[in-house]
Amino acid sequence: METSTDPLKQDTSEDGRYIVAEDVVVSYGPVLALDHFSVDVPKGIVGLLGPNGAGKSTFIKTVLGLLEPKEGKVTVSGLDSMKDRMSIRDLVGYMPEHDCLIEAMTGAELVAYMGRISGMSKKDSIPRSHEVLDFVGLAEQRYRPISTYSSGMKQRVKLAQAIVHDPSIVFLDEPTSGMDPQGREEMLDLINRIAASDKSILLSSHILHDVERLCKNVIIISGGRAVKQGNVEDLLSRGGARKRMVVRGTERALKDFLTSIGEVHQVLSVSEEFGQVTVVLVNREGSDRVFQLARSTGVQVRSYLPDRMTLEDLFIDTVREVR
Amino acid sequence: MGLTPIEYRAWKGQRTEHTKRFLVIADSILRHSLRSKWFLAVLIIGTFLTFALPTIFLSISPHEALTAETMVDALGNGLYFVFIIILASMLCSDLLAEDTRSNSLVLYLSRALRPEGYLLGKFSGAFLTLALFAMLPALIMAVAITATQSGQDYVPSVEVIGETLIATAWTTLFLIPIGLMVSSVTRRKTYAAVGTFMTIFVLEIVAGIFAQYDANWELVSPGNVLAFSYDIIFGLELPSHVNEGLLLAAAMVMTIPPIVFVYYQITRRGVGK
Repeated sequence: METSTDPLKQDTSEDGRYIVAEDVVVSYGPVLALDHFSVDVPKGIVGLLGPNGAGKSTFIKTVLGLLEPKEGKVTVSGLDSMKDRMSIRDLVGYMPEHDCLIEAMTGAELVAYMGRISGMSKKDSIPRSHEVLDFVGLAEQRYRPISTYSSGMKQRVKLAQAIVHDPSIVFLDEPTSGMDPQGREEMLDLINRIAASDKSILLSSHILHDVERLCKNVIIISGGRAVKQGNVEDLLSRGGARKRMVVRGTERALKDFLTSIGEVHQVLSVSEEFGQVTVVLVNREGSDRVFQLARSTGVQVRSYLPDRMTLEDLFIDTVREVR
Repeated sequence: MGLTPIEYRAWKGQRTEHTKRFLVIADSILRHSLRSKWFLAVLIIGTFLTFALPTIFLSISPHEALTAETMVDALGNGLYFVFIIILASMLCSDLLAEDTRSNSLVLYLSRALRPEGYLLGKFSGAFLTLALFAMLPALIMAVAITATQSGQDYVPSVEVIGETLIATAWTTLFLIPIGLMVSSVTRRKTYAAVGTFMTIFVLEIVAGIFAQYDANWELVSPGNVLAFSYDIIFGLELPSHVNEGLLLAAAMVMTIPPIVFVYYQITRRGVGK
């Protein structure tokens, strides 16, 4: 019997980029959903962020070959999203955001059924479904109809059906939605453990704290375009050049210090509170010069740290810039 | 210290061919239907009332061979048609309506399964299940009558058995598209079941009313289209007022557009439009 191959397991990715979209245009009738959208999705856990209607789901559907780009192309480890859509779907596991489970089935039946539709034999699908249900932490409840499950249990079954066929890439759309704090922690831990087994995970979530904790890279989408992408640390520290410095001293010393530092570095903001002055500056060189200036002008340096944004700040700023 | 968490393990098996995966859906529909008490009850009652008594009676009555007329009478029986439309309505009701309501279509189409594969799986599952009533008892009846015939020439009887197989397969194929079409326009399986039954029932009434003015209106009735098809399949003469071209057109109109419509609905919902 013929069997379909798993190109990702042969590691055809040349440079660690798993999904590449080049100038992709997708529209629903007159509505432009992806507007010359270009991204390089690297391996590991990648956050996909964007306001509602930004184009996140459209991008996932385009990768799955459910939508055909009018222009540009999407490749998954070198496979074309339209020509090789069936091979790509064998490599991908998808956990949708909304309810999508067949409620008349039990958790164990559904996961085994989805395994078989993904190409597993009946003999393989049953033990494998129990294996992934053990992994996601669904115990005896797996024998109950899904209609009786809580939101958290449904999220676990959705994750189990997404990974039952051992995909190389997993799309997780709001995986912690509707879960209690303990369940959410467990779900984040599961995602980390899946990623540790050499999987690529594209995580779409509105809970930016979760994304910041899990993802090494993020892509921010707005208005159908990928407006920012890269390493989370680099994006949040703005390349490491922005520094936040807190100094204190006499009025004269502070004035001299601000004048001289303004001549050497770009000063973005200065604020004063409780006798301390906070200076945000851009410094791409070492810190010696800054400390020398402080000593020569007689101010006391209370702190000198990278000016790190939160992901929420970055997200809001980025989306605001686009609008 | 808590228990060590279960680690993710890779699966090392071989995947089946893409083109065969629709069979998983068909298999699931058959199993699910056979676990439904209501479906089984109607199936058993229908089989008993429609086929059990005629099979016993015709087998013990003296007969030379199985004739086309015997099988056309059995299949053209109103009871057979009523039970088959009840079973088709019950069976098709949740095939698409339930997937639409639960959004599970997205799970199917995110797999290596095209919309046509999904539709073929649903169609095949419905066909196999409905065949349990539409084909199997009729074949058993035909074989029983052949086995108890007094004549020595079995060739004409075997020929009728073959025609029975074709006629009952056609009956099953004919009714599923209407059931799937109604199921694809609603999210409630009750509406889908009642809708399928009422669609066929209304067509029967319309045909009955207008056939008084023009005999061609008889072809609006799915029951009449099936009955006239049996005449053609079993090599009997069509009633003089029935136009073969119109019969073919009516059969096509009742099967092809509904399936095209269902395919359109699946692709439209699959991409979330």
